[in-house]
Amino acid sequence: MSMLWPIARITFKEGTRNRSFYGISLIALIMMGAAFLISGMVMRDVGKVAVDMALSTVSFAGLLLVLFVGIDLMAKDLDKRTIYMVLARPISRQQYIVGKFVGISLLIVVTVFLLSVFAAISISTIKWANPDYFPRFSWGPVFVAEAFIALSLSLLSALSFLFASFASTSFITLILTIISYIIGQSMSTVKTLVENPQTAGITVSPVTVKLVQVAYYLFPNLSLFDIKTQAAHGLAIPMTYIIWTLCYGIVYICLVIVFAAFLFRKKEFP
Amino acid sequence: MNIINYSGVTKRYKSWPRGNKVLALDDFSLQIEQGEVFGFLGPNGAGKSTALKMLLNFIFPDAGVVTLLGISVSDRRARALVGYLPENPYFYDYLTAEEILWFGGKASGLPKHKVQERSDMLLHRMGLLSSSKRPLRTYSKGMVQRAGLALSLVHDPDVVVLDEPMSGLDPIGRKLVGDLILELKSQGKTVFFSSHILTDVERFCDRAGIIVGGKLRLVGNLSDLLSGEGTLENVFMREVQAAGGGGAL
Repeated sequence: MSMLWPIARITFKEGTRNRSFYGISLIALIMMGAAFLISGMVMRDVGKVAVDMALSTVSFAGLLLVLFVGIDLMAKDLDKRTIYMVLARPISRQQYIVGKFVGISLLIVVTVFLLSVFAAISISTIKWANPDYFPRFSWGPVFVAEAFIALSLSLLSALSFLFASFASTSFITLILTIISYIIGQSMSTVKTLVENPQTAGITVSPVTVKLVQVAYYLFPNLSLFDIKTQAAHGLAIPMTYIIWTLCYGIVYICLVIVFAAFLFRKKEFP
Repeated sequence: MNIINYSGVTKRYKSWPRGNKVLALDDFSLQIEQGEVFGFLGPNGAGKSTALKMLLNFIFPDAGVVTLLGISVSDRRARALVGYLPENPYFYDYLTAEEILWFGGKASGLPKHKVQERSDMLLHRMGLLSSSKRPLRTYSKGMVQRAGLALSLVHDPDVVVLDEPMSGLDPIGRKLVGDLILELKSQGKTVFFSSHILTDVERFCDRAGIIVGGKLRLVGNLSDLLSGEGTLENVFMREVQAAGGGGAL
């Protein structure tokens, strides 16, 4: 455990000083600012638009963070061999993977927290200016939605670790992570559609159904973590849903990191 | 007492996409004793870096055994005994020299006060104290090399492995590294370094080895190696030509 902290700390520090980190934060702030203008333009459901835009900004900025800072932190170690300075220490490959993941997860949590503060300021200001449009608004679902964003981004980051442990270049890791994100976000809807094609008036071959079912169980169901709509409509999130989704995310992350560490054990760095 | 031991080590790299295997080390055996300064010579691609990286477990042998003080290099405890400077070291762009030394010390299990003490001493020794809070991306190549040297020594290792330590250094930097090798020798440390600069090997080493095509062609005391041919350059050229003039890769 004592070996994990030095790795996690330098990973976190390197991440917070990365220029992309500031660029992503700036984009997020601009999008939050744009929410004021857009909320002034819409004639109804201002509250829903404000919450949806704030949470979407947190989610989008977090995704950019995982794809461009998180993967870069791992990729640089492998491409530019900064990993030598880490693995030349009495640190096992498993400790390296776990320490690195803890550092990147910490970066994700801190970033999502800071973005959430700005999101709260954005929502509060719009609510203050348009109190009539927030009849059923509640902060609870908004906070749960933000926590789920952080968890889903950590899961995506864990997947990028898995890909980096066998991919030959960081570009392949990036592409595989993006593909996983797209599949993870949409697979639940696609599965429902191919299993009940008559509802959409289409025909689907049994092979396609099987392929979609395999992909559904292979890739994480990221849509489970997306409760922006419920938060925007002020709907209460059942406690059982919160607990099961948390368990799903944490177990999935642990499994992926254990598998990544197993593959990484056999990786050579010539 | 043998502190570094390679015994019958063979390593082949698979080339992609055709899958041909390239022989990097061929039945390589070498023993280095405690307190020795050992110079490792060979043409480009001869297998020097492969052999050095095996000591750190970055590369695994296909056959044979590599140990440090009798501990297999696959055991992470072995790496607590060794400091390593890679060829053309590259560190985290946005961290400072002070921070990478903190990492090196903590990750090697040093207590906080010891990390601070060793870090300050080494930064001073390497002439980096005034720039220790600057990100490493602002450093010149020579400064990065010196920061790498400080990192390799922060935990006061018994064995120091340097891969081309003089590479890219100006005369002042080369003198600093040379003096450091001699200082380590006076402290009874074992130094194992590869170099293309034969005069450096002549100046600092007790023993030297020449590797060509993944095979250790010659190893011995420097005085014995030089007795017949006069200069290390003559010995080196003779061995390379005898091996067919090429490297393994």
